[in-house]
Amino acid sequence: MALAPKKNKLSLWQRIRQNSLAYKFIAPTFVAMMIVHLIPIVQGLYLSLLDVRLTTLTLYLKAPFVGLKYYIEVFNAIFGIGEAGASSRVTGLINAASNTLVYTIWTNIGTLGLGLILAMLLNREFRWRGIARTLVLLPWVVPTFVTGTIFNFIWLEQGGLANKILLGLNIVDTPVTWLIGPNSLYALVIATVWRGLPFTTIMFLAAIQVIPTDLYEAASLDGANGWQRFRHITLPLIKPIAGTQVLFGLINGFYGGYNIAVQMFGGGTGFAGEYADLLVPAITRQTWERHLYGFGSAASVILMGMLLVFVGIWYRAFRDSLRAE
Amino acid sequence: MGVSLSKKAESARPARATINYKAWLLDRGGDILLLVIIALMLLPIIFLVVGSFKSREEFAVGSNFFPSDWRFENYSEMWTRVKFGTYFSNSLIICGITTLVVTILASMSGYALARFRFPGAGGLSMAILGTQLVPGTLFLIPLYMTFLWMKNNLGIPLIGTNFGAIVLYVGFFLPISLWIQRSFFATIPIDLEEQAMVDGATRFQAFVYIVMPLAGPGVISTAIFVFLTAWDELLFAWVLNVQTIPVGIRQFTGVAGSQNRYELLSAASVVIILPVAAMFFLLQKRFIAGLTAGAVK
Repeated sequence: MALAPKKNKLSLWQRIRQNSLAYKFIAPTFVAMMIVHLIPIVQGLYLSLLDVRLTTLTLYLKAPFVGLKYYIEVFNAIFGIGEAGASSRVTGLINAASNTLVYTIWTNIGTLGLGLILAMLLNREFRWRGIARTLVLLPWVVPTFVTGTIFNFIWLEQGGLANKILLGLNIVDTPVTWLIGPNSLYALVIATVWRGLPFTTIMFLAAIQVIPTDLYEAASLDGANGWQRFRHITLPLIKPIAGTQVLFGLINGFYGGYNIAVQMFGGGTGFAGEYADLLVPAITRQTWERHLYGFGSAASVILMGMLLVFVGIWYRAFRDSLRAE
Repeated sequence: MGVSLSKKAESARPARATINYKAWLLDRGGDILLLVIIALMLLPIIFLVVGSFKSREEFAVGSNFFPSDWRFENYSEMWTRVKFGTYFSNSLIICGITTLVVTILASMSGYALARFRFPGAGGLSMAILGTQLVPGTLFLIPLYMTFLWMKNNLGIPLIGTNFGAIVLYVGFFLPISLWIQRSFFATIPIDLEEQAMVDGATRFQAFVYIVMPLAGPGVISTAIFVFLTAWDELLFAWVLNVQTIPVGIRQFTGVAGSQNRYELLSAASVVIILPVAAMFFLLQKRFIAGLTAGAVK
């Protein structure tokens, strides 16, 4: 049993036998992933080509085949091809997609930017450092659906905490409408950033702490100012962690937000309105409330395509730091 | 803003005897900013806690920050108004068993991926990471249909039961958990296992008696991560009709036409936070050590 197998000339079968313990350890995980992930994903991809709705749900995979119908519908609506009026499900989806993009960008900027600032503030020597580091973790233990509940109260137009603070500090003259209209997307972004900040901060703090202090001292002796030290020492050395955080942020931005939105909007009914409707809540509504299972699957594939485009851009940007690991 | 902060962040560290006035000023500015950010992070939680003691009317008006009359009875009424006890125990059972099973399985498979270069390891790693890029909405319908089929044809009660939720969550959280575990095992030196095996231990014994005790922070961070995420899962539980807290809590806001009892919803929310908060802060050091170990090695 070789612990660190080197390049050897064993046959495949010998290598499989040699690693039999690994296969035994993997087996339960493999079965679980097959049942919960792989088989359903393949079925879901196929489902997006079928006309599955309430009446045909019992037929399931034998439902009428419609091919790329839903994809073409969405594609046409985006580029204005075909008849002028796209169906409401398609326009709703496109609107949700553009909201999701804005949401993802802002939540990433918020959590990464504030997380980095907070990590650097916490990395200094000061008296209450231990307590401060514990306190910033608190939002993390608040489940996201509770986060939605809390911010539902905070954003209330009359008597909500946010407006009371803003009015009290004379920042605004009249109460701001947060939960309806254009502000609602940013109300959602702020709630998301609040909940996501602890994790990013802890990760950045861990990365900053392992940077050797003498790097900064040497740079200071060479006459580098604070910005230059940050730009040329801190930033390059936290780039791998930042890369991981951006990837998490992209996945959370595109696929997350459901729990917060559902609890925050519509007094429990969960519909955010056109300004803050994200793709996952929109798809969930189409699928489970309007029973358009095939269309919901196609929309999910489009959502995945959107994420993959961004993961591709992400990979190009952070390829170097991945390789360095 | 980040620029000036960063300057102070580093200048505070080199121990210099000369007091730099500008650095001192930046440092105090940093203190104030930190204080403001921490206050903003705590405010929503404090707001929730004090709100849970208000009366229904006072909550609706929202005139005072603190309740004029602290109603502790909200916390007893909240359990009777909806079946909160059932939701709570369901969530505890589901999340507890899921956490246990996932942690054991993720340790085994994470170890296998970290230590063995077996045929198929590359493909498996890709599949594991790939699962994280697929939206839940894509495989929720097939999963529901599969569970329905298993219920109807094999008699396995997977819909509307805690058992179904456990099966679902174990599969759901395994890939990411085993990835956390894998990167943690990779930081443990291999020498100790080799030594144990030279002394006559089998590989399995070396794993159980040598590696696992060293993997404490990794195991704890995986366990807390799984519990936190499972405790928070709403969409799949709702579709599979499992009566967990996230599903049941919506009763307070009038889904069943009941009543807009926001003060009771707040009290329930506080109770929901407590188990996770207790676990989190008791094990905080190890949790963070485990979570960041793989990332900054």
